Amino acid sequence: MTIPKGQPALPVDFNLESEVSEIEGRDGETYLQFTTHMVTFYKQTYGEHSRFFMALRDGRLIGAHCSQCKQVMVPAATWHCPNCNFAEMTEIDLPHRGVLAYTAPITIFPSASFLGDAPFARGYVDVATEAPIASFLPSRLRTTTGLERPGIFVKGIELKLVFEDERQGSIRDIFWVPMTEVPQGLRDKKPLLASELDFTTPEPPAVHKDAVKAAALKEAIAAMRKLAGDVGKSRRAQADLAGHEHLVGVNTGGGDFSISVADSRFSIVEGLSAGAEHTLVADDPEIFTRWVHDGSLTDAAVEGTLWLPHKEAFQLLPILDRLPRSTRRDLRDEKK
Amino acid sequence: MRKVGIVGAGITECRGRWVEATYWELFQQATRRACEDAKVTVDELDSVVYGIYNDIFEHQAIPESSLTGLIGMANKPGTRVTSGGATGFYAMRTAVMEVASGVSDCVLCVGGEKATDCFDPRSKSATPMVIDTIAKSWDPFYEYPLGATASDSYMQMCMGYDDTYPGDISDSDVRARMIEILCHSGNRNPYAQRREESVTVDQVKASRWIIAPFLRLLEACMYTEGAGAIVFASEDKAREIAERTGQPPVWIRGIGAANESYSPGRGGNYKPLNRIASDRIAAERAYQAAGVKPSDIKIIEAHDAFVAQLMITMGELGFVPIGKTRKLIDEGIMLDPKDLADDEAPGDGQLLINPSGGLIFGGHFVGGSNMFSTWSCRREMINRQIPLGLVHGTGAINACFGGAMVLELDEGGAR
Repeated sequence: MTIPKGQPALPVDFNLESEVSEIEGRDGETYLQFTTHMVTFYKQTYGEHSRFFMALRDGRLIGAHCSQCKQVMVPAATWHCPNCNFAEMTEIDLPHRGVLAYTAPITIFPSASFLGDAPFARGYVDVATEAPIASFLPSRLRTTTGLERPGIFVKGIELKLVFEDERQGSIRDIFWVPMTEVPQGLRDKKPLLASELDFTTPEPPAVHKDAVKAAALKEAIAAMRKLAGDVGKSRRAQADLAGHEHLVGVNTGGGDFSISVADSRFSIVEGLSAGAEHTLVADDPEIFTRWVHDGSLTDAAVEGTLWLPHKEAFQLLPILDRLPRSTRRDLRDEKK
Repeated sequence: MRKVGIVGAGITECRGRWVEATYWELFQQATRRACEDAKVTVDELDSVVYGIYNDIFEHQAIPESSLTGLIGMANKPGTRVTSGGATGFYAMRTAVMEVASGVSDCVLCVGGEKATDCFDPRSKSATPMVIDTIAKSWDPFYEYPLGATASDSYMQMCMGYDDTYPGDISDSDVRARMIEILCHSGNRNPYAQRREESVTVDQVKASRWIIAPFLRLLEACMYTEGAGAIVFASEDKAREIAERTGQPPVWIRGIGAANESYSPGRGGNYKPLNRIASDRIAAERAYQAAGVKPSDIKIIEAHDAFVAQLMITMGELGFVPIGKTRKLIDEGIMLDPKDLADDEAPGDGQLLINPSGGLIFGGHFVGGSNMFSTWSCRREMINRQIPLGLVHGTGAINACFGGAMVLELDEGGAR
């Protein structure tokens, strides 16, 4: 949810056509619903937090220090210590390294404002590790090894603070990466900029081809083509795919294929199509059979059995995951 | 402080969406049913406390104002309470205090939610907008801009717990079995949102990840539209009403609450992320006020936003040891309602946990979910003649708000 400077605060496609429409109730009666909104714009002051965000713009991380109880509060949420009868707190510079306080969750299904950002990790970083009492900094966590997945951001790992190259005064001006992913020569650099690390496409994993996987791929392709046929008869599934256009290659231990999404339908093409946006990698092609039978490509990506080159590649997966359920519901309704 | 009793309760059907009713109708329906249950008219109610969590869902900044006349509370005092997921609990606490203080003899407490009228124009579905509306409960400076949601916040706390107490909540078989039991409970509740569903251990384990590795789709509560109402009365009034209804009063024997700091951290007053201290402190206060201990209690209606959190909550409430909450399943402490007749009380070493189906199968209409829990706890205590019960509520970022209420079935109160 980083809105670049100068862009509308509310994305232009975040809107609905004004209408009053009919909707059927459980009782079979017709009811009305109307399109409306509850949007409020703000020019919200950072007030007492301004110092913290101005420091971020300057490439510094600051906290509020209490000389009585010695606590360090980061972010500097107040300048008067709630533990010490609101004694005045002073500004201190904090290190650009920290420790992950607890294993961090990975969000797969985000809220409306963060659609497109998933999967992402959010955790709490212990920055003032020397202080006897300290708050943890709510933080964005990133990896240079591809998607944020369980197993990377575990309790106790050392983290390096990274600053976005262009900063506007937001908690999203900074993020943390595992120290082990930072080249030795950059570990003490303050501030370390995002452009100094390599977040470009990581090396795809190797697949191990064999006859068993080739047979599994054949089965998977047949299952996916059956699903593609069912999508042609399913209004819900077509609505899931509406407006999406993709050509994605898939490299598996049983061979290659491509998934094409266009005109509210999808199709399976054998081999890697020229012009594919990117290539997914799965050693075990059976994950695609499981997907058709109500499994989940999203789960496969999160669990690491389906490798994706970048976050953009993830966005199609929840849409594909809906298709088996949508077709089943429509076909079931048809039978009734 | 005066003795306070529950004399009536009413809830609406829990639904994923009510297109047939706005929140005006839902609040009126719950109020009507509570009045019918207590055999009182609105004229006998001295005041009202509203539990409404979030203005954005109701799409009105003072939603209780439009309800006042519709639920028969014109020209009476009305207080709205909003405390995140624990809104229902805090609304009931306010109503109990109002009677206990002597200000009122009979108070209506009604709460509810209309969540899924929200709609996300980009995904063309309600869910991302509902998640976003709840995410607005987080501050606009540090947490919301990072994509905080209710699920990831509660799972952060579960992960902190698992870091400290490995091998407890991390066993997916244990969690899935709890879900199966809650499903059986939901099947018995005529108002439950998922009363027709049949969910097995295997289905839970095969459902999609919401937050790996502690939250699959079938381990989470739902978005529900509905309302629930409870009528609280002073001792004299409660006994008078009990004569009319033939239902025994259920007394509020002890009530406790605690809200932890918003910010997690080390030491001082910061929120420890590996526990739900608010649950523990609230329960200890409720037990102390009631003069009881957890081993005296056989029925619990706990706020189960997520099943892993329910396990931790049961530890914090003192029913199983922290770090060994899986004993609920391993040692058969958590009863499957299928193994108990509808008028039978749990035996020694057994607990009836969320016989309503909880928030996961029953429903979670935030402002009134804890009234829903209270409705169920009272119903089961009367039907099964269980002397003591516990209602629990939790809410806000990283489960930092907590409340607990010990209920007692009237001694002389046969059905």
